[in-house]
Amino acid sequence: MDLSIDESQQILVDTFSEMLEKECPTTHVRDCEGTGFSPDLWARYAELGANIMGLPESAGGLEMSLLDLGLVATRSGHALAPVPFLEVATAGRLLASLDSEDPLLADLVEGKPSVSICLPRPHAASGTSKTRGGRQVVPYGALADHVVAYDGDALYVVSNAGDRRSDRVKDLGDSALANWDLSNSGADVRVLATGDSASRAIAQANSEWKLLAGFWLVGIAQRALAIGAEYARERIQFGVPIGGFQAIAHPLSECAIRADGAELLAWEAAWADTDDPARFEMLASMAFTWASQTAIRTADISLHTHGGYGFSTEYDIQLYYRRARALSSIGGGAKEELQAVAIACFDPDGTGTADSLLGGA
Amino acid sequence: MDFRLGPKAEEVQREIRTFLEKNFSEADRKAALEDGGGHNWELYRKLAADGWVSAGWPEEYGGGGRDPYEILTLYWELCKADFPWIGLLNNGFIGHTLMAMGTEQQKTEMVPKIAAGEIAFALGYSEPGSGSDVASARTLATRDGDDWIIDGQKMWTTTAHTAQYIFMLTRTSTQDRPHRGLTIFLVPTDAEGVDIQPIHTMGGERSNGVYLTKVRVSDEHRVGEVDKAWSVVRFALGLEQAMGYADLQERFIENAGRWAMKTGQDGERPFDDSRIKEQLGQTAIHAEISRLLRHRSTWLAAEDKDLGGKGAMTKSFSGTSYLEDAQNWMDLVGPAGLFQEDEDGAIAEGNFDEAFRQTPVNTIYGGTVEILRSLVAEVELGLPKSR
Repeated sequence: MDLSIDESQQILVDTFSEMLEKECPTTHVRDCEGTGFSPDLWARYAELGANIMGLPESAGGLEMSLLDLGLVATRSGHALAPVPFLEVATAGRLLASLDSEDPLLADLVEGKPSVSICLPRPHAASGTSKTRGGRQVVPYGALADHVVAYDGDALYVVSNAGDRRSDRVKDLGDSALANWDLSNSGADVRVLATGDSASRAIAQANSEWKLLAGFWLVGIAQRALAIGAEYARERIQFGVPIGGFQAIAHPLSECAIRADGAELLAWEAAWADTDDPARFEMLASMAFTWASQTAIRTADISLHTHGGYGFSTEYDIQLYYRRARALSSIGGGAKEELQAVAIACFDPDGTGTADSLLGGA
Repeated sequence: MDFRLGPKAEEVQREIRTFLEKNFSEADRKAALEDGGGHNWELYRKLAADGWVSAGWPEEYGGGGRDPYEILTLYWELCKADFPWIGLLNNGFIGHTLMAMGTEQQKTEMVPKIAAGEIAFALGYSEPGSGSDVASARTLATRDGDDWIIDGQKMWTTTAHTAQYIFMLTRTSTQDRPHRGLTIFLVPTDAEGVDIQPIHTMGGERSNGVYLTKVRVSDEHRVGEVDKAWSVVRFALGLEQAMGYADLQERFIENAGRWAMKTGQDGERPFDDSRIKEQLGQTAIHAEISRLLRHRSTWLAAEDKDLGGKGAMTKSFSGTSYLEDAQNWMDLVGPAGLFQEDEDGAIAEGNFDEAFRQTPVNTIYGGTVEILRSLVAEVELGLPKSR
């Protein structure tokens, strides 16, 4: 057993921490709220190779692991980085897994975030998991020229942003969401795969996005907790720091415990991608669900710790409160995902007879 | 990074499962639950004969030299099987403590007897007036020549009625702050003036209250220095807190899952109800996190790294999440959840009833969740001491 990251991973974490501390203070996050995207910051990400980290070498990538990608996602979550790291990583890996010479990869390798992905979501308000036709919400869809989509049979790319892409939608997370018409018909659609190979590819991409979003949410939770704890140490009421009151300390303490669990679970899921593949899908689903629940709760508790100030836009905690909720909702939300966890755990092959995947190695 | 416990732990899992198959029948399991005392001498001696009582002790003291992952696996398997293992846990710990700070006589005479399964100990910390504030113990030990006279009362002294000794926290000084006047004695349960009375619990466990009236104990039975027992108690509680209940949570979700996947008498499969799936998902996640936190505590111990507040995190999370799940399931499954194991119409091996009864205590004993949260707040978040 070894529950630590290795030296090169620590360097990766430190590199991104330092870069983000300098390039992405919360003033910068606020400055980007009108577009949901920081081109300058994304340029720094690309300089550090974040756009190609997860791609295979055959596609011009660095062939780094999901854990490496996840560590970058956690740092990004800490800083609330307004960049499409999750979407570029997931769409790029999906395209490369089907064809390492897919023409859309060239943009990604050059650092242009021109491709996003619309993953099957079970949530009632955004369509069923089977049919993805018609108008869909696409994360970073306002930047994208191409969107990878799946309609239950075919996996395809929709281009022609001019006709199919809406203006940026203003949302809770001040992101770069847009609605896209993703119907699988017309000259602007290119089919990548159908049948089993399509469903396998989209399932893997879905798990990867959920896992990386889980890592990102871990970062949001950790930073929200640190902000709340710092406030509780410094804010004086009744003549003492409020962190000395159990009514303040214990909810924060509970969040610290949950956040540690969320990080361990995300690490385990990333590790399972290579070392315990049978449990990968279940663990990725768990990691997203738990990180969602934890980040949302932690941002809420931390905001409350601030009293009225937490509600003011001047304080950073409201940025975390909104973005924790928004990223979870983009993934369909934790409540829906709990059912996916149950299916992945107790009925992984859909026959109703498989052994549960509890327990693990 | 590697999340596996490793081949040695896997071997222990096989060995213990084989041991249980051979020595712990379904009738034994039922009897152990019925008894609730947490210790059975016949079974315990068999464990001792196979070297499991001293498995985690260093080899130079005749121990098995097993690593923390192997010991985790030992308790995990016994606990999931409903084996009465509390005596084993106590004795393993007390053996360690005597090796570290016991007298020569304790080391040479008592330690081998513990390893052989001949003697057993109960832990005597709590008192009627001293629970979370364990350092406020008032059971008094006063010198009388070469002996000590002990007067007072202990509570929640589980296994005292089957053990030969109680590893007892006493007050030997009231001069300094409360935690600086504590001393530990090994009090024989058959000594004159020791009266052990049963305490029965909602969860089926039998514990004890112990009355001590002018109990004479020789100085040979003192463990460690006079007035310096606080660090021993803290260490022992730390061990307990680093464990949690992930093994029982795993069994609970396994039982719930098996029940949900089976078609019921109404022709429906509970799993097809989205509310059941949600609860299964949540319970499975809680079990996984509890397992990971416990594995992390074990890994830190194996690597000789500082545990900080991470042991407290393990028990706090496991205790609260298991309790929450037990209550939520009961609310979901209707009256059949009330039935005990083997009753006509019982579901999930009666585990819903059992968990509902047993889980409230998990957030109380060995450090209440409030004590643990304060510890985490201080150590991990740098918040001021809170009461």
